[in-house]
Amino acid sequence: MTILIIEDSSFTRRKLASLLRNHGFEVREASNGREGLDRIREQAPDCIFLDLLMPEMDGIAVLQTLSQEGFSIPVFVLSADVQETSRAKCLELGAVAFLEKPPHEETLLKAIHGLGMCQVEGGS
Amino acid sequence: MTRYTADQVDAIKEIVNMGVGRGAKVLNSMLGAHVQLQVPALKILSLDEFSEEMQVFRQEQLSCISLPFQGSTTGVAELVFPRSTASGLVDALVQEESDYADMDSIRAATLTEVGNIVLNAVMGTISNILKFRLRYSIPQYANTEASVILPLGAKLRNMTVLFAQTHFLAQELEVEGNILLFLEVASFDELLTVLDQPATA
Repeated sequence: MTILIIEDSSFTRRKLASLLRNHGFEVREASNGREGLDRIREQAPDCIFLDLLMPEMDGIAVLQTLSQEGFSIPVFVLSADVQETSRAKCLELGAVAFLEKPPHEETLLKAIHGLGMCQVEGGS
Repeated sequence: MTRYTADQVDAIKEIVNMGVGRGAKVLNSMLGAHVQLQVPALKILSLDEFSEEMQVFRQEQLSCISLPFQGSTTGVAELVFPRSTASGLVDALVQEESDYADMDSIRAATLTEVGNIVLNAVMGTISNILKFRLRYSIPQYANTEASVILPLGAKLRNMTVLFAQTHFLAQELEVEGNILLFLEVASFDELLTVLDQPATA
């Protein structure tokens, strides 16, 4: 299963990528929304972890573009923004879940397993 | 403070307290250590008065992460650590990566994201309680002296600011710092209007 992380913070990107790789996922990375969309158009991943506040192109614009271009890839928004309005906006735009930073291993794996498409090692 | 009633100030202090509490919770989660909080000190100050307040941090070298926001209210939230404390925090979070050559950029990326998460928790909680909608700008990180903290944060010159300061301490890791909030006074008046509305179910 291939997961694309779209996240501008190298700190969170590294932590998240390392955690997911340790559980057997193939991980690709992008540091902003525009780069993320390029990766998706090259080769669509099985799911996406998407930050909201990023330079170049933010997470909301990515969700809108994915919808406009007809992609139906499950997107988990992973954000520090805990505003209810932000959560509602993301879900309205098609995100399958809104997860809060900092990312917790158990929560992330539960979310991925909830998609019912993964073959991973060591997941709980 | 004469423009505002004790009840209004108390209500704001409580809302800030809830926001900071959520910030401490996420910091606790990231550090794996208990974070002790002080009750926020809340002041409404002109910039000159604010400069006086900053004497608390006199001559200290600081690491500062600022999160500007606009929308229902305008201002800046800042997470400020003494530099020595910031190093301890980075060490606690990236210990397994200490072989990275570029520790300055690791340090900057780590502190920026810690600030982003903690300050979003603070402001998001306040925003949720007041039914606000905030648009954040990308958080900025800087090593600086206390005297330039405010200009770092935003274009708040000639404004009165709501200055909320909370000191926190993660004793096991010897990490301490301050959460500072600046709201321009027009926004602050909006906030008081919301607070004065009768509660709804």
